[in-house]
Amino acid sequence: MSLNRNIAPAFHLVDRLHFPAYETRYTKQGFKIYALKAGVQPVVRLDFIFDAGLIHQVKNAEAAFTASMLSEGTNKRNALSLAESLDFYGSYFQTRCNADDAVASLYCLDKHFNNCLPLFLEALIESIFPAKELDIQKKNSLQKLIVNEKKNSYLCRKNFYQNLLGENHPYAAFSSKENINSIDRNSLEIFHKNQYLEGLKYLMLSGCYSIETLNIIEKSMAEQPFSKPKENKLHMPDPISKIGKHLIEKNDSVQSAIRIGKISIQRDHEDFRKLQFLNLIFGGYFGSRLMKNIREDKGLTYGIYSVLEPFKGTSVWYIDSDMNSKNRESGLSEIYKELARICAEPIPNDEIDTARNYYLGSFLRSLDGPFSLADRLKIMIDNKLSDSYYPDFVKILNEIGAEELQHLANKYLANENIVEMVVGKK
Amino acid sequence: MIQYHKFTLENGLTVIHHFDDATQICALNLLYRVGSRNEDPNKTGFAHLFEHLMFGGSKHVKEFDTELQDAGGESNAFTSNDITNYYVTLPANNIETGFWLDSDRMLSLDFNQKSLDVQKNVVIEEFKERYLNQPYGDIWLKILPLAYQKHPYNWATIGKEIGHIEAANLEQVKEFFFNFYAPNNAILVVAGNVSLEETKRLVNKWFAPIEIRNTIISELEKEPKQTEARKEHVYNDVPLDLIVKAYHMGGRLDPDYYACDLLSDILGSGKSARFFNRLVKEKRLFSELDTYISGDADPGLFLIEGKLMKGISFETAEAAILEEIEFLKNNLISENELSKVINKTETNICFGDMNVLNRAMKLAFAEFLGDIELVNTEIDHYLAVNPEILQEVAKNMLVEENCNTLYYHAKS
Repeated sequence: MSLNRNIAPAFHLVDRLHFPAYETRYTKQGFKIYALKAGVQPVVRLDFIFDAGLIHQVKNAEAAFTASMLSEGTNKRNALSLAESLDFYGSYFQTRCNADDAVASLYCLDKHFNNCLPLFLEALIESIFPAKELDIQKKNSLQKLIVNEKKNSYLCRKNFYQNLLGENHPYAAFSSKENINSIDRNSLEIFHKNQYLEGLKYLMLSGCYSIETLNIIEKSMAEQPFSKPKENKLHMPDPISKIGKHLIEKNDSVQSAIRIGKISIQRDHEDFRKLQFLNLIFGGYFGSRLMKNIREDKGLTYGIYSVLEPFKGTSVWYIDSDMNSKNRESGLSEIYKELARICAEPIPNDEIDTARNYYLGSFLRSLDGPFSLADRLKIMIDNKLSDSYYPDFVKILNEIGAEELQHLANKYLANENIVEMVVGKK
Repeated sequence: MIQYHKFTLENGLTVIHHFDDATQICALNLLYRVGSRNEDPNKTGFAHLFEHLMFGGSKHVKEFDTELQDAGGESNAFTSNDITNYYVTLPANNIETGFWLDSDRMLSLDFNQKSLDVQKNVVIEEFKERYLNQPYGDIWLKILPLAYQKHPYNWATIGKEIGHIEAANLEQVKEFFFNFYAPNNAILVVAGNVSLEETKRLVNKWFAPIEIRNTIISELEKEPKQTEARKEHVYNDVPLDLIVKAYHMGGRLDPDYYACDLLSDILGSGKSARFFNRLVKEKRLFSELDTYISGDADPGLFLIEGKLMKGISFETAEAAILEEIEFLKNNLISENELSKVINKTETNICFGDMNVLNRAMKLAFAEFLGDIELVNTEIDHYLAVNPEILQEVAKNMLVEENCNTLYYHAKS
């Protein structure tokens, strides 16, 4: 039988998504431990989630410095001895300061967990922020900052957020030289006490952990000086946007960094998942309109994407690219043409089908490993979403059609209230 | 333990199957035995440009990506000095779509001028974005020609210069395709929730009919042993001085490879590493100082790269690096320090094996190297290293006659 290569093999649509079961336990003091067991490799990740993000800082740069200084020494151990002990068990200690929270994570093999956990807790609880170590981190940060300031992409990102949200908005907080210089031990100690020791939200364990590991966490957390965040309302300023076009001239650049965007909707909005899908079609994957037109048809860039970035206090939607300076104007005009087109014309059905099938397939991929599952679970917890939030995508994507997508485009992607930031040649 | 089953088709295609029913997806990884080392020195960057063209349509498929996305799949590829590697992930029950697409582009591309013109521009933008429009982005473009005088690792995968990419034409594309993109020059890995029987059925259906080709791979010129120190000074518009020291080391199957990797961890990996503690923190000479190996199949490089603190001279900074290296050569590394870096390596291997696509790539690369069992024996090779071996390797490798130093000056 001869093979007909012109005909695509039959394929199946993803008709259900399964979010695996997870366990919820409580420590003696009432902290929740979410435990999600998946995978076969004997690896574990333990996350502590704190009210210690950009929105919680009083002074610019203190949230990031507190997070990164947690590994720099305790009452019992200096930075080197702490790092040597953690490294000896092959573990990784990582802290991340996000917009709305901070996450401290311990990664290790299950067999070493009981040796690593006491070190991890010691760093989180008993850090003393030694002046000498702080001075080193400050100087190294300043060096990094001057390198970043040479990058068009960094300048573009920073100025885009500041123009869209306002210079003093917490989500537009980029540390300046002055901010870094003014950080001192005292402010870090206060931030640590208020936002870490008195700001622990919950714990999350993921990977192929043993039951002993879960028990050790419960036992070790029985008597620790953590308390839950106080319920006082955070003051979240309204965005103050400088709508319109902005340019920073860099006349020696061969490429221009571009970011174009506007304020959008948050995760708890009923349209949010549908807008995520619309964004996918517009600029969210390799088969998107931006990518197909501006890269694959015209070759003006190596990459162009659009991104929906929901924060707790607001949400930002933007298009991001680095583009050939010579053809920048034609690239920009193509972006605006695509924006106008997605509002003016219904999206053809086969384009919707391709995007839907791809999107559901990508959920299968991302629900594959324990850590990416844990990341999804965190989104569910932080936004108080139900366990069916991801599985429900199947129904939502199967029901949505061209008419509703066009309506959403006019509502959320219309060319109004847009901030355009360009860094490059005039 | 990664289990696998290997067989070869009559047309020479090597097939490796790895079963995992803990996942709902399946990965197809197709490795072609061609990288930038196989390029003509006057037409560099071609293997990588060609990788882009593989997504521009094949004999029976107009749009590779759309067909794949329709079936819920995703794809990408990378080119290195040694190989070009394509991968597809799909819901396991749609894996046949991947076989259809990847076999068709092995059968024949559609060789269209428009795709070539567009992708030349895309690659030129990639060249600018990653190598020219970034502070220090061109380090690799400077250090390779200094370190390699004969061997084709002399140029970076992206190419020596934009002009080489601009000059590429369809004739070269065809010639390259029919020589290198042959079943007998490829390794296919099928990994995930698809059985061996189904894999055999699909391989026979889609790949077996492709004819064996007369692939000619020219022997690569060996890099002669370096006998005197090489130094180069570069001046550019960057804010900080930077130093790179690149030492020749063995290839991926060289018995000393694992010792070199561990030496690079001892010196430069993580917060308990020697460089970070002595030169970044105690002496305050650098704000960053990293050590890494290139990991190439042929003899590669052991690299030290650091940004100097403002006000520190190259002389002071380099002398401090050399002092640490002398200490390494003259004092045996303790068992404790060695255990530390081996434990870390064990963690990294376990974390790397979590993902089915990673396992597929690892199998393909180990087979390419000629020792597929490496996917399971790698850790044993690390465990076999002892302090005496480390000291011996350091003494032989970390000498100035074997070193290429790049002084990247901040233009004031």
